[in-house]
Amino acid sequence: MDRQAPSRDVTPDSAFGFDGNWKDFAKIALPNQMLTILTLGIYRFWATARERRYLWAHSRFVDERLEWSGTGRELFIGFLLAAAVILLPLFGLNLLIQSLTLRGEEALAGWLTFVLFLGVYYFTGLARFRGLRYRLSRTHWRGIRGGSDDQGLGYGVSYTWKSFVGYLPLGLLVPWSMTSLWNERIGKMSFGPHRFEAHAASGNLFARFLLFYLLPIVLVVGLTVAAFAGYGIDQARGGEAIPDLGITGMLILAFFVWFFVLGLVAAAFYAKYYREVVGATEWADLNFAFEASTMDWIRLYLGDFLLVVATLGIGFTFVKYRHWKFFMTHMEAGGEILLDNLTQSTTRVAGHGEGLLDAFDIGAV
Amino acid sequence: MRSISAPSDPMRDPLLIEASWYDGRSAVRHEGEAVWEGGPALVLRNGDDRFDIPFSDLAYGERRGQTDVYRLASNPGFRLSLPHVLPPDLAARMPARSDYGAWVDKLGFGKAALIFAVVSASLAALFLTAPTWLGPRIPMSWERRIGDAMVGDLGGRLCHTPAGDAALAKLLGKVDPAGQAVRAGVFNADMVNAAALPGGQVLVFDGLIQQAESPEELAGVLGHEVGHVHERHVMTAMLRQFGLSILLSGANSGIGDTVFGLASMTYSRDAEREADEYARARMAQSDVSPIGAASFFERIGGRGGKEPEKPASDEGSMFDWVASHPAPGERARAYRAAVDADATYRPALTDREFAALKSMCADDPDVEEFDLF
Repeated sequence: MDRQAPSRDVTPDSAFGFDGNWKDFAKIALPNQMLTILTLGIYRFWATARERRYLWAHSRFVDERLEWSGTGRELFIGFLLAAAVILLPLFGLNLLIQSLTLRGEEALAGWLTFVLFLGVYYFTGLARFRGLRYRLSRTHWRGIRGGSDDQGLGYGVSYTWKSFVGYLPLGLLVPWSMTSLWNERIGKMSFGPHRFEAHAASGNLFARFLLFYLLPIVLVVGLTVAAFAGYGIDQARGGEAIPDLGITGMLILAFFVWFFVLGLVAAAFYAKYYREVVGATEWADLNFAFEASTMDWIRLYLGDFLLVVATLGIGFTFVKYRHWKFFMTHMEAGGEILLDNLTQSTTRVAGHGEGLLDAFDIGAV
Repeated sequence: MRSISAPSDPMRDPLLIEASWYDGRSAVRHEGEAVWEGGPALVLRNGDDRFDIPFSDLAYGERRGQTDVYRLASNPGFRLSLPHVLPPDLAARMPARSDYGAWVDKLGFGKAALIFAVVSASLAALFLTAPTWLGPRIPMSWERRIGDAMVGDLGGRLCHTPAGDAALAKLLGKVDPAGQAVRAGVFNADMVNAAALPGGQVLVFDGLIQQAESPEELAGVLGHEVGHVHERHVMTAMLRQFGLSILLSGANSGIGDTVFGLASMTYSRDAEREADEYARARMAQSDVSPIGAASFFERIGGRGGKEPEKPASDEGSMFDWVASHPAPGERARAYRAAVDADATYRPALTDREFAALKSMCADDPDVEEFDLF
């Protein structure tokens, strides 16, 4: 026996799979939580590495499992680097602005605040890029890893200006900035010798975005009318006789309607967004799809909410498990992979982890 | 199949173990066997291919069901899968399994958790107690430099008139007879507040001055803040805040969570009591009656000794200063108890001087308005 067949057909209903279970994950996550508390938070880097090792190892792509090769030590070093290179200067700038304001140099302080604001945007974009690059470079499949040769410095600039342009026309270009940033970010990543490519279009998202955009206005008008109706009920019942029923009841109702309806519409938008951007992503001869419907997203977030509330917060550690499982079970891929051509990535491997991402509190798994 | 020759341990046959591996160069999977002849290397065999893997190059990866995955230090993509259960002498040569991370694996979970708990508790204790003895040992000149860097001249928001400055200097002299490195200023803001800033600068807000009914009341407040400076409470509070943010930075690295600025700087109740004691001692030395300060606290807190409720609208109210301080009733009693029946108290300021202090901000044409926060 020598080699296996050198190519793999990928059928859409079986390309990705997940076979972990929460009880096994708990045996990792709960001791992690305890060690993290006992070390005043320092252990969380090693905790993350252990949890990812479990999640990746129970995720299957075609016929082989993924493998997380990142370590807690490199995440810790990444955190220290980000703290020294980014957070301390930002902290210093903030102190400078405070002292300038106290000295009456409001104009200069204003300008520096603007610089600080731009800086936070820039580093957020940079952090997202570096985080993705780091995760790809630590994800192995059949011994092959991903990565990027781009440092992400240009992406930070794009992230800053595209975010601004997205918000400028009353936020109407937000779908464009989201898809265009996805295309730019993903297009600079590779796995093995092949680049990813993404050509997501914002046009397909626009109807859902308008729903998300206009509904609050409709709601405000509708709820105002309802509130006045409630006031009318109060009056009809004799003014202050039953004051709690009308206007207060309507306000409570309005509060729930607001968050419930907006939550639903946000889920509808994100469902469409992920279907669009993942569906427009290709790698070598593979194309991807993400099949989660709006209802799937709602179930995911409702489940998270109940899990955290019912366990008084202890269950929060399982949220990342649920999200990874959600991601793996809804990812699909079709096409063919030539194993002989899938050679090792030549991208540079950063020696440290996603400290920036961590510093800006942009979590994923 | 080739025969295996020259095992280093002649008593034992070479071990043959089922193995599979990825070579780190392509995604093609290789299946064959690992052969160990007792030497310093494992031989991987796949048909006619065979190559050595020195044990020193092997690193443990992770457990995969009934197999363990090993990596190679010299080839980051190389992955070798071997059965989890290996013959004992081979298992002894393989790299140690790791799970939690090096330290915890070596110590065991229970022992490591215990050690971490002890170290964390000692660190927390150190960071909480160190400021109290370290603060007073930091030279005042350093603190002054820090203070100047932080607040500078407060953007011209200190009120100055010749008569007002003289009155303030006289009042400061009463509660700071040694004439040490304390600077006092009237801050142009309509809040009933007073503060000791880093660097020995004491501020009395104009709002508080307007509320004061006698110079003795102001002497009580000013003496209290001067007490904070002399007892080095400011430096202690800064160190405590700094220490806490370092201690918590492991748990929370988000820039939004770092505690910025002076806003959150508070003193302990003991520090507040010390500052009051300092004020009473200096006032007694300068023959300033403590009755004024007592009635000030009675006015803002009543005689019941309860913490006053903060009213919904507290624009220029009496409560800004009180909110962060011990119960005013208790303080009022302490000031009343400090009255010495044999002493002859003299007014802290003349009526004219007190009036100059009251009109200081209104009369200063150059002072900046405080309207930022």
